[in-house]
Amino acid sequence: MPETSYSVLGVFETPDALMQAILKVRASKLGTVEAYTPYAIHGIDEALGLRRSPLGGMVLVMGILGALTAFGFQYWISAIDYPIITGGKGAGSWEAFIPIMFEVTVLFATFTAGLGMLHLLNKLPFFGHPVLSSKSIKGITRDRYVLALEAENEAFDSEAAAKTLRDAGAIEIETLPAPDRSPFLTSDYILRTLGGIFAACVVAGLGMYFATKWFPLLKPMANMQDQPRLNAQKASTFFKDGHGMQLPVPGTVARGYLPTATGTQEEAAALVNPLPRTKAVFATGRKVYTNRCEVCHGAVGNGVGSLTAAYGAKPANLQAQQFRDYPDGKIYWAIVNGKNAMPSHAPYLSEQERWAVVHYVRALQRAQNAKDEDLKVAAR
Amino acid sequence: MSQTKNTSNLLWGATALGALGVLGAYAAAGPERFWANWILWFVLLFTLGLGSLFIVALEHLVSAKWSVPVRRIPERLATLLIPAVPVGLIALAAIPVLYPGARPEAAHHPLLAGKAFWLSLPFFSARTIVALALCLLGLWVLVGGSLKQDATKDPAFNFRARKFAPAFMAIFALVITLIAFDWLSGLTPEWYSDIFGVYVFAGAFLSGLATTALCVLHLQDEGRLEGVKGDHLYNLGGFLFAFTVFWSYIGFAQYMLMWYANLPDEVIWYKVRLAGSWRLITLALAGLHFVLPFFALVTRDSKKDPRRLRRVAFLMLGAHVLDVYWLIFPILGASPRFSWPELSFALFFLGGILLWIRGAMQKGEDMPVGDPFLREGLEFRL
Repeated sequence: MPETSYSVLGVFETPDALMQAILKVRASKLGTVEAYTPYAIHGIDEALGLRRSPLGGMVLVMGILGALTAFGFQYWISAIDYPIITGGKGAGSWEAFIPIMFEVTVLFATFTAGLGMLHLLNKLPFFGHPVLSSKSIKGITRDRYVLALEAENEAFDSEAAAKTLRDAGAIEIETLPAPDRSPFLTSDYILRTLGGIFAACVVAGLGMYFATKWFPLLKPMANMQDQPRLNAQKASTFFKDGHGMQLPVPGTVARGYLPTATGTQEEAAALVNPLPRTKAVFATGRKVYTNRCEVCHGAVGNGVGSLTAAYGAKPANLQAQQFRDYPDGKIYWAIVNGKNAMPSHAPYLSEQERWAVVHYVRALQRAQNAKDEDLKVAAR
Repeated sequence: MSQTKNTSNLLWGATALGALGVLGAYAAAGPERFWANWILWFVLLFTLGLGSLFIVALEHLVSAKWSVPVRRIPERLATLLIPAVPVGLIALAAIPVLYPGARPEAAHHPLLAGKAFWLSLPFFSARTIVALALCLLGLWVLVGGSLKQDATKDPAFNFRARKFAPAFMAIFALVITLIAFDWLSGLTPEWYSDIFGVYVFAGAFLSGLATTALCVLHLQDEGRLEGVKGDHLYNLGGFLFAFTVFWSYIGFAQYMLMWYANLPDEVIWYKVRLAGSWRLITLALAGLHFVLPFFALVTRDSKKDPRRLRRVAFLMLGAHVLDVYWLIFPILGASPRFSWPELSFALFFLGGILLWIRGAMQKGEDMPVGDPFLREGLEFRL
């Protein structure tokens, strides 16, 4: 037995005796009162004056945090960082987030409950509580009810504690040493743990390697793989033509590629460019022009592109007065329907991109024929 | 004593006034609106009665002990299934008015032709009559037997109820699914949802639980139900909490699958409920039926606190009424109808239901005194 005793146990024969003793022992104010019983006794929480565990609040807060984390994460991915339309749903469709928000809420909440209970509240891990190696432990797990006065400070008077417990009706007294709270994460312990994990990985890896080598056809869970579905580039008996992949229904139009009925070029002259003149629109226009128009019409739209000399073609000089006087709609018509040797660009460019290019061509024309006030505007 | 007499007179007055309004509504507001209101209250009355009977059957099914002292409350509430029978039989007159599947044109409708027989007036009526009869059978075995046990103190009833409860659960699932499919989703027969019966069940169980909690609290205020403690209230509150989440889970699961698949015959049902003023009601339903009760009941103490429990129970009943209103009334038009005909119906049926409950609460013992498990139930601690 070490010199400083940590706690004094008093053994009682019945739960009633224990409950009656609790008040007397608490009144002595010699230390923290703790009870050890074989089963839960109703009303003992109140008798011991235990505070309500903060675990519920922690779990609620972390659960809400989990929901917000999952929402924010999915929203950022699908609406901000990489907006892409899948299944015909717009970017940031909250409906699709809910199941994952639910899962992450549960994940955060259960981890908080488990780790909070074990580590934050019960101060685990540490090596063995002295009660577990006491003489009374057999009784505690069977038919004895134990009240412990535990040391709150160094000046714990174990003699007085033993007397208080005996006066309260304890039939046996036991004095226990302090629990061993020596550092848990020693380098030796960490090394052994890492070694154990490494060994487990080696065993699992080798086992998997030989399992797949010796039993290559073993499919433990084939339900997902072998289902009656249509596979890309595979035959199928489902459709009459025997193909798994089908052409879109005639008349199908992709999002943003709605064809505009332009009629003749003269009729198209009345069309108005629906896009505002913003930086983003000009950036799109510039990108499209560089990719699709520049090879023929040239970087500044003067009809001298890199292909002109090679093939002897004569693309339109967009800087010519004729084209500077063109209304937006006529340029748009030429992009959609093509003109002379120029093919239609409707299949490659979305509605937005076509109009953005019209804006950009206008910008090129103005840049090549700048007036004095344009320079002032540019200087500002 | 005079106060109870006053309350009774007040309820009779309200019911009579409501009855006048109900008759006026048929003449002034037209048959469609009249029958929509009638079906609303038929479903509310029926779900309250059947939800209460489900609580009773659940106790027998799992041999729960804690709920024995309060079992008489849902037993009394389950007797609302008796007035639900005439209300339901009268509602059969609504079938040709409101249910497109029962009209002769349905035979030529491309989507309805295949189910024309199922939706036809004779088979529809037959199903409802069978469903109501099955409910009365459950009521007779579970509630009638329990009332008889008060005098006989014969534990044989517990064995009989325990054997009958699993069969009743199957009957219950069939009945609530039939009523939900026929009377609620039958209003838009092109639309269908497999989970709809479970959705209506969640609402029915909640309305039974909330009314049970309110009656328990009321009887406690009157000094009856001696021995029913916070621990019993905690369990009622816990069930209420769990099933608000269950309701939301089912409701959202139904919505999300339809939203994902985006099939025209499915999403149309939600489209009308997410357009115009109905959108506000849909949002209010989510707030009142889930968010508010969830946070009101999430802590441990709030489930025991009589004041909090009473408020949440009232809220849940209101939310259940809104839920059924939201299921039925969009067929009347793009804007939600709420004025004197709806108020008259509410007065008439609420007055009647309260009178029935008051009458039931004054008859016989407040607890199943013949049940051998009553003592164990009273000693229940969390």
